[in-house]
Amino acid sequence: MLFAILIGVLFAFIAPLVYRLLGRYVAILMALLPLALFSYFISLYPRVVQGEVIIANYTWVEALAINLQFRLDGLSLIFVLLITLFGFLIMIYASAYLQGDPLLGRFYLYLTLFMTAMLGIVTADNIFCLFLFWELTSVSSYLLIGFNNTNKQARVSAWQALLVTGGGGLALFAGLILLSIASGAHTFTGLLAQKNILADHASFLPAFVLIMVGCFTKSAQFPFHFWLPNAMAAPTPVSAYLHSATMVKAGIYLLARLAPILSGPDVWFYTLAGVGSITAILGAVVAVQHTDIKAILAYTTIGALGLLVMMLGINSTLAIKGMLVFLVAHALYKGTLFLVAGAIDHCMGTRNISQLRCLGEHMIPLGIAATLAALSMAGILPFLGFIAKEMLYEATFTTPWLLGIATLSGLVFVAIALLLSYRLFWKKSSKPTPPRHALSIGLYLPPLVLGIAGLTAGLMVSSVPSKLINGAMQQIVASHSNTYKLALWHGFTPVFWLSIGTVILGVSLYRFLPFIRIRSVGMQHMYKYGPDALYHRAFERLLHGAKTFIAKLQNGYLRSYIIYIILFFCGLLLIVMWRDPSDISFSQPAASLNETQLYEFVLVALVIAALIYLLGTRSRLTSIVVMGLVGYSAALLYVLFGAPDVAATQLLIETLTVVIFVLLLHKLPAFTYLSHQFQKYKFIAIAIFFGAVMTYVMLLVQARAVDSDLKKFYGAASYEQAHGRNIVNVILVDFRGLDTLGEISVLAVAAIGIYALLRLNSEKGGKP
Amino acid sequence: MRTLIFATAIRLLTPLFLLFSVYILFRGHHHPGGGFIGGLICSLAFVFHALAHGSEHTESTYFRLSVCQYKANGKPSQLYYVWSWMQLAIRKNHRNGNHKRFHVIRLRPIYLMAFGLLLAAGSGMVGLILGKPFMTAWWLPLELPVLGSLGTPLLFDTGVFMLVLGMVLKMVFTMKKE
Repeated sequence: MLFAILIGVLFAFIAPLVYRLLGRYVAILMALLPLALFSYFISLYPRVVQGEVIIANYTWVEALAINLQFRLDGLSLIFVLLITLFGFLIMIYASAYLQGDPLLGRFYLYLTLFMTAMLGIVTADNIFCLFLFWELTSVSSYLLIGFNNTNKQARVSAWQALLVTGGGGLALFAGLILLSIASGAHTFTGLLAQKNILADHASFLPAFVLIMVGCFTKSAQFPFHFWLPNAMAAPTPVSAYLHSATMVKAGIYLLARLAPILSGPDVWFYTLAGVGSITAILGAVVAVQHTDIKAILAYTTIGALGLLVMMLGINSTLAIKGMLVFLVAHALYKGTLFLVAGAIDHCMGTRNISQLRCLGEHMIPLGIAATLAALSMAGILPFLGFIAKEMLYEATFTTPWLLGIATLSGLVFVAIALLLSYRLFWKKSSKPTPPRHALSIGLYLPPLVLGIAGLTAGLMVSSVPSKLINGAMQQIVASHSNTYKLALWHGFTPVFWLSIGTVILGVSLYRFLPFIRIRSVGMQHMYKYGPDALYHRAFERLLHGAKTFIAKLQNGYLRSYIIYIILFFCGLLLIVMWRDPSDISFSQPAASLNETQLYEFVLVALVIAALIYLLGTRSRLTSIVVMGLVGYSAALLYVLFGAPDVAATQLLIETLTVVIFVLLLHKLPAFTYLSHQFQKYKFIAIAIFFGAVMTYVMLLVQARAVDSDLKKFYGAASYEQAHGRNIVNVILVDFRGLDTLGEISVLAVAAIGIYALLRLNSEKGGKP
Repeated sequence: MRTLIFATAIRLLTPLFLLFSVYILFRGHHHPGGGFIGGLICSLAFVFHALAHGSEHTESTYFRLSVCQYKANGKPSQLYYVWSWMQLAIRKNHRNGNHKRFHVIRLRPIYLMAFGLLLAAGSGMVGLILGKPFMTAWWLPLELPVLGSLGTPLLFDTGVFMLVLGMVLKMVFTMKKE
């Protein structure tokens, strides 16, 4: 199974190569992969529905418990089958939709990568593994939304989706880590075993909130829903695959997976039911105001996701079962409708409803697909959507406010379904919209297959779908009492009458849709305060703030950088010394002054004299030579104190510095005092301050000599283990060789940077 | 700075400098010295040479393998066709009188840096290949008379040597050219 989950990565990266070799026939190969995976997982179906859990492990970083651990159970199986089935159809559809696009190979790369990431999410057992694939879906979604990279709207939307879902992913990761610290387990199986400890743990609530943020951003719940409508800038196959059927359901999947662990306290019900119902209302209310087909579908998707979260919040056996049925039904009909919308866009050149009339005349197969999906969406009898809606009403029947929200969503779904099937395709009109080109088979076959799948699933609900859903139920609800059997017909119950009433009221709502759209114009100014506008404002503020800050900090003057560094460093030192005050006696250092040799005094006097002279000199050459003198004196000091390696390095560096200065000397402008006299005193003060702090620190270090075994260890081990008598060098190249490797890498990068700076300046015609 | 004495002295001293720098590199394991100091000495040799003769001259003396091709009765030689066919980074440089000059190999400082980094990282890989942690030292069992024993730390030090050399040369040559 490990192979089946990860093979997609390989396929993804050969896609552009295959595209170069085979042209558009790359679609065949890329569609075969999901088909093969689908058949593979179908072959596991009999084992999984009997309650068997299939496990695949690969040890990666054992010490940190970061392993690739996968488990396929009933809940995963539903998602896996949806992902691979959709993957197959979308791959075929995309080849027709993006026909002639030179970047088709790259598109397949992103799409296959996404599919693999999605498979990874729904089968991951290890939390790190889950996070890895979770963020991979965010990244591949970013790449797919921004696929039309010449379009600014697409780029901005892609950014937004990445920031929102990627940021949510980080929150989720933090939450999962909190859970794993609290319980000591790194897998969902382990967390489930420890759930009694978790429920009373202090970090339960923070972890809960963080995980909720992660799931809500991914599944576009209020107030993070705004990225989903904007993500419709993606090519339609992407919208159908990512933003209706699979990726936005990842949050739902994780909530369902964690439901047994987190759903004990009341906070689960209030958070999920609250957020879910707000999102459902929002989706329903906004959906009826739009005329762009994709926008309508996006908002109904948000509404449906809200309903799913709401049902998870109720967390009764019936609600969970209804949630699963609705999830499958929604994926099937919404995917179909998205594909239909894409085909219409492709053939007609517009997605605006008011410009489209009587499309059934030219594209009958597409009309049939749309009608099948719409009937399922509206919840008409033999379709899977009907069963989902019945169960939704049944589950919320005892709580009036939840029932009200469910009914409102149902009404809007009926109206939208009528709009997208009857109004677009079959309503008679004197002027049918002519298509730009004929419908190709790749554009209508996938939605037709999906639409028929929705019908068959409804008709055969008591066989295969029922078993699948029962398998998933075992994972979510511990004591699974099989009271509510999935069946098409339950008799004339109150719920059935409610269902009929919804359809009738929905038809009348459809009549009022144009009227609502006209009246809703007044609501436009409300969006200025919506989360989307807030996001954009915050983003601009952030950029602006960063720009101002950088302009202040990096003003291009070397002296200000040095001042910042020194002051920051001194500040840190002072904070440490203030927190941990220690008094040192100056008697011992003063006593050691007496032992100072004469030549040491001479050297120090030489350095001080040179420095004083340096301050007064006005010639650049003199100052360089005097600086060299200071450096050589320091080197001599090292020699006297028995550090020949350091001394040699210092000597050579000084020589090099002087030579390089001399090289550049004649190119520098004349030596002038540009800064104000006051500036000079400021610099002197800072220098003295820095010197004083460093002297104090040195005295402190001397006073508290640490008795360490390091010296002894290196002295002994240097020759015996490392075959070298020069301890300094042995440490550099052997004991701490990795540090040196890092340092020389930095050196190389710095050299390239210097080169770039010099070249850049000369190309601009500036001074070197 | 082009004085005759300085230029002549540097021309004679540069090979000495270079030899000394290599000696320092090998000596580093037992006595003061090592790759960093050796690299600095080596680069100083070239920097002084560049100071005395100009960086162009230094580059063409030490960092280029050039091939001269004389025109025999007005036609390019057979060898020229072979080279141009092999695409061996042939650049036309001089075209005075009856011969052309091609640079077959041009050792840019940045290659030195890259090679040094590769050598340093590669010496660490030896330990990895032998199934031990990265950068585990591995020594040849024999002891050479002047150079001492050979092992991966020496290789690492050579990497440091070349990187330092390349870095200083890159900076100085770039500054000189402006």
